Amino acid sequence: MATEAFGLPFEVGASSAWLIWILPFIAALIMPGVGKISKRSTGYVAVGFALMSALSAASLLPMALEAHEVHDQISWISSIGLKAGVLADPLSIIMANVVAWISFLIMIYSTGYMKGDKSITRFWFWMMFFIGSMQLIVLSDNLLQVFFGWEGVGLASYALISFWYRDKKKDHVGTEGRTVLGLLDYYSPTHAGMKAFIMTKVGDVMMIAGMLLIFLFAGTFGFRELMHDTAWATSMSAQGLLIPAFVLLFGGAIGKSAQFPLNEWLLEAMTGPTAVSALIHAATMVKAGVFLVMRLAPLVFALSAAGILADQFFEIILLVGAATALLLGLQGMVNSEIKKVLAYSTGSQIGYMMMVLGIAGLSEQFVNGFTAGFFHLISHAMFKASLFMAAGSLLHVVGSRFMTDMGGLRKHMKKTYAFMWAAGLGLMGAPFITTGFWSKDSIFGAVYTSGHEWAMPIFAIAVLTAIITAFYTTRMLGLVFYGSKSKHIQKMEEEGHHIHEAPLSMWVPYGILAVLTIAIGIIGLSFEVGLHELFTEYLEESFGIHSIHHEIENSILPGFLDGINPVALAASLAAFGIGTGLGYVFYIGRWVDPVKFVNSNIFFYAIHKVILNRFYLNAIIYWCFVVAPLWLSRGVFRYFEKTAIDYGMNSGLQKAVGWSAKVVQGTQTGVAQSYLFVFGAGLLFVVLILLI
Amino acid sequence: MLEISSTPLVIIAILGTVGILLPIISIARKEKGSNSFYAIIAFAALIVSIGYVAYQFVNGNILPSALFSEDVLVDDAFGGFFAIAMLIVAIFTTVGSFNYMRKKNYPAVYYSLILLSTIGMVLVAYSTDLVMLFVAWELMSIPTYVLAGFMKKNPSSNEAALKYFLFGALSSAIIVYGISLSYGLTGSTNIGEVIQGYATLDPSLLPLALLSVGMFIAGFGFKMGLVPFHQWLPDTYEGAPPTITTLLAAGTKKAGFAATIRIVVLGMVVLNLDWTLALGVIAVMTMTIGNIAAIMQKNLARMLAYSSIAHAGYILIGLAISPYSSLGLQGSLYHILNHAVMKGMAFIAVTGIITTLAVTHIDKLKGLGRRMPITALGLIISLFALAGVPPLAGFWSKLVLFGGALDAGTTIWWAPWLAIAGVLNSALSLAYYGWITRKMYFEGENEKRVSEPKSIIAIMIFSIVFLVGFGIYPDPIIKFVEFATPTFSLGVMP
Repeated sequence: MATEAFGLPFEVGASSAWLIWILPFIAALIMPGVGKISKRSTGYVAVGFALMSALSAASLLPMALEAHEVHDQISWISSIGLKAGVLADPLSIIMANVVAWISFLIMIYSTGYMKGDKSITRFWFWMMFFIGSMQLIVLSDNLLQVFFGWEGVGLASYALISFWYRDKKKDHVGTEGRTVLGLLDYYSPTHAGMKAFIMTKVGDVMMIAGMLLIFLFAGTFGFRELMHDTAWATSMSAQGLLIPAFVLLFGGAIGKSAQFPLNEWLLEAMTGPTAVSALIHAATMVKAGVFLVMRLAPLVFALSAAGILADQFFEIILLVGAATALLLGLQGMVNSEIKKVLAYSTGSQIGYMMMVLGIAGLSEQFVNGFTAGFFHLISHAMFKASLFMAAGSLLHVVGSRFMTDMGGLRKHMKKTYAFMWAAGLGLMGAPFITTGFWSKDSIFGAVYTSGHEWAMPIFAIAVLTAIITAFYTTRMLGLVFYGSKSKHIQKMEEEGHHIHEAPLSMWVPYGILAVLTIAIGIIGLSFEVGLHELFTEYLEESFGIHSIHHEIENSILPGFLDGINPVALAASLAAFGIGTGLGYVFYIGRWVDPVKFVNSNIFFYAIHKVILNRFYLNAIIYWCFVVAPLWLSRGVFRYFEKTAIDYGMNSGLQKAVGWSAKVVQGTQTGVAQSYLFVFGAGLLFVVLILLI
Repeated sequence: MLEISSTPLVIIAILGTVGILLPIISIARKEKGSNSFYAIIAFAALIVSIGYVAYQFVNGNILPSALFSEDVLVDDAFGGFFAIAMLIVAIFTTVGSFNYMRKKNYPAVYYSLILLSTIGMVLVAYSTDLVMLFVAWELMSIPTYVLAGFMKKNPSSNEAALKYFLFGALSSAIIVYGISLSYGLTGSTNIGEVIQGYATLDPSLLPLALLSVGMFIAGFGFKMGLVPFHQWLPDTYEGAPPTITTLLAAGTKKAGFAATIRIVVLGMVVLNLDWTLALGVIAVMTMTIGNIAAIMQKNLARMLAYSSIAHAGYILIGLAISPYSSLGLQGSLYHILNHAVMKGMAFIAVTGIITTLAVTHIDKLKGLGRRMPITALGLIISLFALAGVPPLAGFWSKLVLFGGALDAGTTIWWAPWLAIAGVLNSALSLAYYGWITRKMYFEGENEKRVSEPKSIIAIMIFSIVFLVGFGIYPDPIIKFVEFATPTFSLGVMP
């Protein structure tokens, strides 16, 4: 039905949907070969394939805007009824475009950022693998295939976070020598990669459990098949397993999207090259969890129309999201490493998305929260990718990850300065001109109008987080670009290093995204309305979720703000004003010294310390799941393995096998006569068994 | 009557003509050596043959597993399936010989014998008449006796050939005896009619019918390497030229299964007795003894020989449970095809190692991953596929086999134990596969790369693509196997 609308044969839509995720994998596969021939051309090949993948994604856009979908399946393992397929509906097509185009820009950026790295082929291999896996998640039509992409993303992130596996000092994160609860707060790339892998794996295990639980009842992994016949949900619900299964699936999203309490890997993930961080935070990995929830949420919500209530599922999402938004936002205020501030900010913003998806399921108007979450995902992808790449430029130029080693850079790096401000305004939610403002405002609106009993406390947390966000963004910009030059920079200049702008291939990508943040921001409201209409139609057609059309009340707001909730608007404006104002006082105007301010009384000092030590969550996790098991394992090794296993089983079993092998070999005499005898005896034996 | 364009006849024509012409050409050219000239001709003939089988399948000219026929041969999917598996092995052997036979004597005769033996293998799978089957069986066997002893100055090659020949002769005699018994009982040599005759047999003659069936199991069991008819096998596989071992382990062994499925499995359904337990017991014995003996081997070829005994045991599981679960024969056929590629590939890798480094002792494989990276990778993948590590192709066929055994458990109590034995044995087999892996990749840090034979590399790459590709996307093969697997229509369940 889909492509007929604009006169293309059906296969075109389907094949470009396949190509979107297959092309990056092809690029990854040929990368070692390309690297053998010419190391320098690997970057061009990667950028080329990323572009082709992005173009395939773009070719599907017209269809998405018509709210049509393509669902193409091939038989995968027919004997157990498994099918592989792509599901290109408006949700996945727009998501695929966000992923593809932002990855494409990051790829261009990487050609500059990674120039001259010895292991460049490995870098491109994993980057393309990363993108391919993410697109596999986005376009899959069933949970099993999503899980393949899910694990691919996990593997690629592991390989890329520990990309600089030689663990040089400059590639670490954290402050050397600093301890929290007796544990070092200083991580090497290899440690960080492992940490990310293991922590997200906790979520993955939950996810596969939830997946199989659903499969047990439904007999299918397919999203559309699950929607088509909901008898499975009725029987699961009758046994009280429906909510646990979906919560387990959400567990996967918690791990991958770094939500509380599995958020701690995200900070150490900063050991990877900055291009990787940009990819993880803007396009792949952490967005995968949000996307999974967006795939599942309409399904769960639609079940409630069939009388199967799943409110607890949405409540859990809501609480996890809100907690993450606030806790990680707070930590972003105090950290001194630029990439870590951005990482905390990502976790916090993802928390926003989760929160509003949770509220969507609890309100009458599902589409409001759903649109708000997705809109924020898009705008966050743009400005966060831009900010990360810009931060990469700073690291590249200054050679330090600490903001305290920067300062006063606005005269030397004018372009980066301007673009970071533009993208930063997006993150702060600068009124009326940035995408961040409109998406945040729509989140506020969705929460405020949801009518749920928790709406007001959640709204308060959302506004508080917005204030915090504006504050730490201003702080970051202030520390980096304003004030006087740090000692580190002065020393560099004395040594003859010239502070200069980043090369063209680096500033153009983040420039484009920064400009887009403003450009789409200016038409942000109509963008949002369009998205809202599209999703209303999509949810209606694919899930049968009806939206109630409210007549727009006579608002006190001027005409161009039609449809905006005045309370939400006021809250956004106030949050931006307060947060930015405080930030200005401390870090741009520098009227008050923040260090003195914090140390001025014991109360501020204590709070600062608790936040700086990550609410002790990381240390507690390490004590419980790393240090304690290590002690335990040493004990088991000494008192059980060395005795029972080694002396008993290992040598015993080995001897038994060795002995039986000797016996069998003993029959193999090499003498033909004895073989013939055995043969004859065997014939007799067979006839005897047959006669019995 | 078979049409002149039917698959078996065309294969006879192509391979027979080329096989007979090769020695004549070599006499006419009056020159020795020039191995690659004959290899290319043989290779071309095999490619044309396999292409023709594939063409027949694609055009739908092949009957979907018609098991019986008035004729001596039938052009059905079952035969076509085996023909493809065996032709793949023959191609592996020929391509592997490009390198192995360089600077060795009588290449024309060598390739000619391979082609003739291939005709025999293919015809065994197509036969529907006991006499035809026996002729095909001998046509397959006799050239391989010669080939096993082809290195006539090499004592171990001679020993291999002699042992192989002695047992071959014995088993042929036993098969003929079985045929004569069944002819005496039913008055026909057509398999369909023999089975019809058995179905209406006077009960007092049942012991004789059983004896004939036992003879068939023993006679074919020799080729399949079933315990206790297996003892010649390690000696022969170790001593014969490694390319010929490829042909024996991956090719002629499968002919034994084809014959057994045609006669024993389908025939015995009508004999109202529990013969499946006998096959089940033999299956467990075969895989256990094969794996246990393999563990302590120091010679790579001999280890693989024992591993191929063990795999005959896995395949036999499917035969044993075939009356109780439709997955049984599917699993067997699936594993036969996979095993042909996996074992063929492993022995070709051994060929490459022998011709390049002249070692077969496992301790001397140190650092092979550095010395011959592609061969080592191919060997590792084939070993892991043999062990049934997902997502390689070998995993799926074992899954179908063991799943079939569990499925059959609903009607017969001992079937799940076959699956348990199979899984335990697969775990056991990882012990010696892992040992080789360790030698190749975790020892010998300082080895330098040597150049690998191109023909070996080609086979490795083809097989890796096959095993990994059909491991990730097994559907086409599963469909093919389902198409080729005979179904029980006679309907008498024991």
